[in-house]
Amino acid sequence: MQRLPRGRHGLSPEYVARNQRERLLSGLTQALYEEGYESTTVALIGQRAAVSKSDFYKHFDSKDECFLAAYEAAIESIRERMETACASATSERWADRVAAAIEALLNLLTLEPALASMALVEGIRAGRHVYGRYQAALDSFVRDLREGAPASPAGGEVPEAMGEAVVGGVAAMLGRRILAGETDQLPQLFPEILEFVLTAYLGAEEARRIVSAG
Amino acid sequence: MTIRPELPREFVAEHKRRRMIDAIADLTAEQGYEATKIADIVRQAAVARKTLYDNFDGKEDLFLSALDTAQAEMRAAVEEGCEPGSSLEDRIAAGLGALLEFIAAHPAPSRMLMVEAISATPSSARLYEASVGRFVDLLRVGAPTGTDLPETIEESLVGGVGWILQQLIRRGEAGSAPQLLPELVQFVLSPYASVAERGGAGRRK
Repeated sequence: MQRLPRGRHGLSPEYVARNQRERLLSGLTQALYEEGYESTTVALIGQRAAVSKSDFYKHFDSKDECFLAAYEAAIESIRERMETACASATSERWADRVAAAIEALLNLLTLEPALASMALVEGIRAGRHVYGRYQAALDSFVRDLREGAPASPAGGEVPEAMGEAVVGGVAAMLGRRILAGETDQLPQLFPEILEFVLTAYLGAEEARRIVSAG
Repeated sequence: MTIRPELPREFVAEHKRRRMIDAIADLTAEQGYEATKIADIVRQAAVARKTLYDNFDGKEDLFLSALDTAQAEMRAAVEEGCEPGSSLEDRIAAGLGALLEFIAAHPAPSRMLMVEAISATPSSARLYEASVGRFVDLLRVGAPTGTDLPETIEESLVGGVGWILQQLIRRGEAGSAPQLLPELVQFVLSPYASVAERGGAGRRK
């Protein structure tokens, strides 16, 4: 996030405010990743963002409020990235669209480890007020995944709980790998995550066949 | 509560320890870790404040001991549930069934372990992750051997079951956990479903 020029610059106040807010969100995400929640003070966030303490309080009432906003921004950028990848997948086939979204997710997490940690580790550790947002994010991924999914191999729709378990399971597994300091290796997990997700909807045999075919 | 003088001292001490562990489980399940005060715990456990500090360094130490007790009891129930020798399907259904029955019968320790521990303190979050890790190992040991299943499969399966149960517990519906058995069995079995036909090729790295 670029710092704006000092003094007269002809930028609108709205633009300056939005830019400041975005810098604060990424300042908090970065500070949290490097220093942990306790050490991430308003002063430190301001320092990372190059925003004064008094300007911080023009945007947020507290560190917790800034945290919530940063958490939502992290989830939103993940969703955006996955949706874009899904929409521009090489084929219309459901499995290919799912594959494109998972690949985009893993690449984004590796590219932005602070965002990865925020979205999949720090969020649920922050307590009840963030939990609802984590849950809403996972639920929306469950709905996206369900869209266009074929009927279950046994016939009929795949039970709702299956989708929740698949999405929650992948999120928990990624969180564990991020905690273990393996964020840079996540893209290597692409084939097995894809196989795991497809298995719930297509059965193990078909999922294996699709993943092996590349 | 009055303790009759003829009871051995170790028995009384152990009983008091257990009451404090049960008290913090009930209280954190009800009002969360933050809001739970030492005064509430000693009142609910009917022990002297000094007794608490004789046994534990303070609230967090007691909380961590209570978590450790809860995870050991939950795991013991699951391990007992899945008897060796039976088929994979039977073992997974029995182990999951035992887990769901445990949660229904012990909603407060389950909530403390599966919900509160994650956000209470950094140490309790680590304890939670370690306890998830033990369930991952347990599933891995029980899973079919010599198959070419992905390395992360058990982590995703345990994570998925955990996520479903956490949501249920947060909704205050721990008592209905056993009703989830068919769907959870289907979920956990699905990746292993065709293992027998594929035969062994060694687990993929």
